[in-house]
Amino acid sequence: MESTHSTEPTARPPLWDLTAWRSMYPGMWAWVLQRVSALALIVLFPLHVMNPYVEWIRLTMLVLVVWHSMHGIKVILTDFGFPPKHQRKLLWALAAAGVVLFVWLVYLHKSLWRFLG
Amino acid sequence: MTAEPSAETSGEVTFRVRRGEGAGDPGERFDRYRLGVRPRMTVLDALVALQSEQDPTLSYRYSCRVGMCGTCALRVNGRPRWACRTLLEGLGGSVTLEPLSNFPVVRDLAVDMGVFFEKMKRARAWLEPAEAAAQAPARLSPAGPERRRIEPHIECITCGICYASCSMVGHDPAFLGPAALNRAFTLVADSRDASRARRLLEVCGEHGAWRCHSQFNCTEACPKGISPTAAIQGLKRRALASGAKALVASLLRGTAPGS
Repeated sequence: MESTHSTEPTARPPLWDLTAWRSMYPGMWAWVLQRVSALALIVLFPLHVMNPYVEWIRLTMLVLVVWHSMHGIKVILTDFGFPPKHQRKLLWALAAAGVVLFVWLVYLHKSLWRFLG
Repeated sequence: MTAEPSAETSGEVTFRVRRGEGAGDPGERFDRYRLGVRPRMTVLDALVALQSEQDPTLSYRYSCRVGMCGTCALRVNGRPRWACRTLLEGLGGSVTLEPLSNFPVVRDLAVDMGVFFEKMKRARAWLEPAEAAAQAPARLSPAGPERRRIEPHIECITCGICYASCSMVGHDPAFLGPAALNRAFTLVADSRDASRARRLLEVCGEHGAWRCHSQFNCTEACPKGISPTAAIQGLKRRALASGAKALVASLLRGTAPGS
C-alpha cells in the first residue's frame, strides 16, 4: 500500500483557536469562569468604591457576583453530598437561576439604571 | 466476510498523529496520513492499519483490544479516550491523535505510566486486613450500605484517562490524582481494612484530596462511568469528621489541638 505520509510542526495553537479548548468539559468551564470572575471583581471593586455611579462597572459586577455565587452554591452542594453524576444538570439549573436572579435584581432597582430610561 | 483488510471502504479519513519523544524533543511533529476506513472501524483498528500498511515506525500501546485492559488510552481530537472503544464514525474526516496529557511520552502515542502507579503506591492502594479479617473470610452483604458505598468505585482498570483529564494534576505534579484517590476511598470505606486512619492521613494532605477543585473532568472522562470526584468528596468528608473528632477530644482533655 502506498504511503500518504506528510509532516507539519507541533506549535501550540494560538489562544483564539477554539480547537485548543475543546477538551474542556462544562464543569471545567464553570470553574474557570468563577476564577476569572473573582479576579475581575478584585479589579472592579476598588473602582466601584471610588465612583459608585459608573453604570457599566455596576452591571459587570452584578453579572460577575451572580455567576460567582451560583458556582459557589454548586461547590457547597457538591461538598455536602450532591451526587456528582448529576453535576451537569445542577450547573445548568444554577446558570438558569443566575439569569433569573440577574434580571430580577436589575428590575428591583430599576430606578437606579439610566439605560432603562 | 472476506479476509481482505481494506477491500470495502466507507470513506477516507485524514489522521494527524503527534510523533516524537515528548516535551523538549526538537523532532516532535504532527504526521499526516490518509486511510480508507471500513464501517464500525475503531481508532485502534486505524492505528494497526497505518502501522502495517504505511509507517512501521508508528508507536502506540495496546493489549486486549476489547476495553478490558486500559492500555490503549490516548487523546482523540483533544479528549482522552480508549482507542479500542472509539469508533471513527462521528469523528469527522480529520482525526487528531496525541499521547495522554500529564504523562511523560516514551515515543509517539505511547506514554510512561510509571508516575501513575507510583501514586497508587503512595495512596497505599492495597487492602491491609485487620487481624480478624486475615483469619476468616469477611461477610459483606451485597445489599449492605458499606458495600453499596464502595460499589460504584471498584471498576477502575487504571487506564489513566482521569489522570490525563485532570487540570489539577497538570498544575501540581505531586497531586495523587483521581485514580489513586478513588482507590484509596474504596479502602478507607472498607471496614476490613486495618490502616484506614493512616491511609486517610496520607491521602488528605496538601497533594491529596484537598487539591481537588471539583472540576469534574475525571467524572466526565471516565470510560467506566466511575466518578472519582464522588470518591474524593467521600475522603474529604471522612477527613473532616476525623479532624473534628480529634479536635473535640483534645479540647475535652484540655490539651492544645494537634498535640
